Amino acid sequence: MFSSELKKGSTEMLVLSLIESRPRHGYEIGKLIEARSGGRLTFALPTLYPALLRLENRGWIKGRWMERAGERERCFYRLTPEGRRVLAEKRRTWQAYVNAVNEVMGGSDA
Amino acid sequence: MTLPGLTAERELRIVRELAAQLDDFYREALARGLGEADAGAYARDQIRDWDRMAQDVWLADRRHARPRFDRLVEPRLEQLTGAIGPAAARRNFGGGLLVLFNALGDVRYAIRQLVRTPGFSAVAILTLALGIGATSAIFSVVNGVLLRPLPYPHPDSLVRVHEILQKFGRFSVAPASFLDWRQQNTVFEHIAAFNSTGATFQTPSGPERVQGTLVSWDMFDLLQVVPTLGRTFRADEDMPGKDAVIVLSHGLWERRFSSDPRILGQSVTLNGAPVTVVGVMPAGFTFGGESEFWRPLALDPAKAGRGGHFLGVIARLKAGVTVERAGAEMKTIAERLALQYPESSANESAEVIGLHANMVEHIRSALLIILAAVGVLILIACANVANLLLVRASIRGKEIAIRTALGAGRLRLILQMLAESVVLALAAGAVGVFIAYLAIRPIQTLGAGSIPRAGSIALDGTVLAFALIVSLVTGILFGLAPAWQASRTTVGSVLKEGGRSSTVSGGRWIRNGLLVAEVAMSVVLLVGAALLLRSFERLIHVDPGFRPEHVLAFRVALPNNAYPQEHHKIAFFASLMERLESLPDVTAAGMIQTVPMRGDYLLSFTIQGRPAVGPNQEPSANYRAISPDYFKAMGIPLLRGRAFTLDDGEKSPMVAIVDQKFVERYFPDQDPIGQGIDIGNGTDGFYKIVGVVGSVRNDSLDSNPSPTMYGPYTKDVFSSMWVVVRAKSEPAQLSAAARQAVRDIDNALPAFAMTPLADVVSDSIAQRRFSMLLIAVFAAVALVLAAVGLYGVVSYSVSQRTQEIGLRMAIGAQRRDVLRLVVGGGMKLAMVGAVVGIGGALALSSVMATMLFELKPLDLVSYAGTALVLLAVAMVACYVPARRAMRVDPIVALRAE
Repeated sequence: MFSSELKKGSTEMLVLSLIESRPRHGYEIGKLIEARSGGRLTFALPTLYPALLRLENRGWIKGRWMERAGERERCFYRLTPEGRRVLAEKRRTWQAYVNAVNEVMGGSDA
Repeated sequence: MTLPGLTAERELRIVRELAAQLDDFYREALARGLGEADAGAYARDQIRDWDRMAQDVWLADRRHARPRFDRLVEPRLEQLTGAIGPAAARRNFGGGLLVLFNALGDVRYAIRQLVRTPGFSAVAILTLALGIGATSAIFSVVNGVLLRPLPYPHPDSLVRVHEILQKFGRFSVAPASFLDWRQQNTVFEHIAAFNSTGATFQTPSGPERVQGTLVSWDMFDLLQVVPTLGRTFRADEDMPGKDAVIVLSHGLWERRFSSDPRILGQSVTLNGAPVTVVGVMPAGFTFGGESEFWRPLALDPAKAGRGGHFLGVIARLKAGVTVERAGAEMKTIAERLALQYPESSANESAEVIGLHANMVEHIRSALLIILAAVGVLILIACANVANLLLVRASIRGKEIAIRTALGAGRLRLILQMLAESVVLALAAGAVGVFIAYLAIRPIQTLGAGSIPRAGSIALDGTVLAFALIVSLVTGILFGLAPAWQASRTTVGSVLKEGGRSSTVSGGRWIRNGLLVAEVAMSVVLLVGAALLLRSFERLIHVDPGFRPEHVLAFRVALPNNAYPQEHHKIAFFASLMERLESLPDVTAAGMIQTVPMRGDYLLSFTIQGRPAVGPNQEPSANYRAISPDYFKAMGIPLLRGRAFTLDDGEKSPMVAIVDQKFVERYFPDQDPIGQGIDIGNGTDGFYKIVGVVGSVRNDSLDSNPSPTMYGPYTKDVFSSMWVVVRAKSEPAQLSAAARQAVRDIDNALPAFAMTPLADVVSDSIAQRRFSMLLIAVFAAVALVLAAVGLYGVVSYSVSQRTQEIGLRMAIGAQRRDVLRLVVGGGMKLAMVGAVVGIGGALALSSVMATMLFELKPLDLVSYAGTALVLLAVAMVACYVPARRAMRVDPIVALRAE
């Protein structure tokens, strides 16, 4: 639906925002992106997983093996304080970018 | 997936997480109503290009690159092997080189796997190390005693020659026979005789008794050993009167003569007479047990007899002559001599046997049984570790599934798993060798009195090579089942079983089968140990015929030059008895020329008034020359008549005492008191029997009492006597006073071979104790291993059945029922194992027969007792995990599904 270049720039931001409220595991993140976008955005495992590793290596998220009652062990990712700052920054930038793009594109009609 | 350069932990985590996510996809597909095959395909489909994936992961995770050193080495390896990578596996290189490189990669990976799971590795390594350590330790005994050649050049051509006596079988050789053999044989390069001796050296710190051997002059040439210093004997020194020469052992030379090379040609005082030192043997040279010196045997051909058999004879075969051919010739010669000298040698023959075989033949079967026992132990350890690995393999099912998905072939996986078990076994081998190293000293000590060549037991290259081979073989042995099972794992089968880490149901059968085998082997060992223990228990309660407790025994030897006449010797001994009996702590003191269980002394005899028998056909019995209070000191009961008294002296009438066995055998319907016996036939005339005493086990605790005749020592004076002193308290406390008593009479005489008599008795069964202790230790270890194995299998099954148990409890099962379920499951396996084991033990029981004393190999108590002990231990091993099962919360367990 969307070109891969388009998606590439937003993967990290999407992941960060999805684990903002609570830790989630990799499969869950992929599925949530798909669900919340109404199926318009899908990130396959080969894209999503390296992204998770990258984020973790930058110290923005932290994965932890946990066992929830009645489920088997999974690696849950949560935001680190640094990640929270980065997410806020990315949100601002994205918002500003979207606004700018909208304005530019909307302006052509006016 | 190849993630070159990432740390092991990192790689594991990534693989684990990818597995978890693939599993989620699989379950999602199932939930959507797809079939298992389709769901598996869907899961696999999530990652189409693994190489690309690996590259992306690597790029994202570079930060976790391994340290520089590792990276310098491993990429090379990795490049060459392409080890675990799917790409490399698919790249069809072929050729043996690739296999080797793959193996290297496998080993590296295996080491990482083991380091990742330290708990598992420690248990597995320790279990195996016990087995490998015990095996190596016992093998070091077998190697030192049975396998290692004798420490002489060309040991295979060395033989021992025995005379065969009609009554006693294989026997020592009479001097005249030896001289004839030397002259008449054509098969030996050399033939030499020897006889053990002892000597008293005078030193500033007092007299010291030293063991030595009298040897034919060419004994050293025969052995092909040259002295370190000086020379050995010349032919002309091997004659009475010219034999005042001595060759010293290296040890004695060091200890007594401070390694002084000027000792050659000097005179030393031996037994009060001067002898000249002509040579010193090299360090490590032994001949004749503990011998520290050698002197010429100096047989006098004119006086050499055929009646007394006391020489040992060894020979070296001529090149090309076999033991059999030599045996045939010696038999011919001996039988010709028997015909030639019917008076002394009727029906005698001779036998040739390899020197080494001769030394070890009585220990061989016991050692091989012990080696077999230890082999069983290692199999048990293998079964245990195989089970551990099986459980782990199923836990690692997902990892393996991924690897399969990555394209690893079945053979590849088997090799990988085998590499892990072999690495594990090699680590265990290293620990095992250390255990063997620790065990070898106690074994040497334990074996010193009971097995020949105990000194040559060592952890040498052969033993290390053996340990290496055992480790490799066990590694492959216990790795096969898990490897085979793991190789059958597929992505589908793992994912199918959901979150629970489980595996194909075949795994349970293998695990149960291994456990049953393990229990069965433990039972075999336990039955063996129980039989030996019970037999040994009977043995130590055997009545030796005397009361060894509180008795101190030691020897005194009178040199002929200081005590030339019999009356000199009698005077010394009588004075010694008097002094010892006057010690405050002594209740009785006696003497005998050969204390029971330390050598035999048989003499033929005839009974007065009975018809004469042919030459060499007279009966013979133990003969002992004793002092009056010998029976009192030994606690041998006087049954009838009287004991000897001080009045039974040199000049009084000849009297004898016989034991109960003698009466039973030779005077079954007659009163022996007053009868005459000619002890030794024709030397002194008839001895009148004046008393009957209880029988004594003269040879060892496990031999039967044999008929014995006693005469007063004053009638038959020996220059070397055993003294036995009965104390009121601990006999060891008497030793100083006893030594002093000897020194008070003659300052130049040592009291030697001092030992509590109880030790003499227990030494006589030392070999049985050696075997019993070793097998008992192995059986105990086997029992522990079987218990651990049972515990492991039951715990694992409990963890697997948590949901089932929860369900049962939810529908009303009581804790009691759960207990019954779990314990019952484990006990069923234990029982099957016990039955199989008892069957195996029964089948093998005949092997044990020779090691048992007055106990049938089918002893019911041993079998039933073993089964009970094993089932009790099994019960405990099952109960512990069962308690955990009882605490399962049904709600939690069910929700997990």
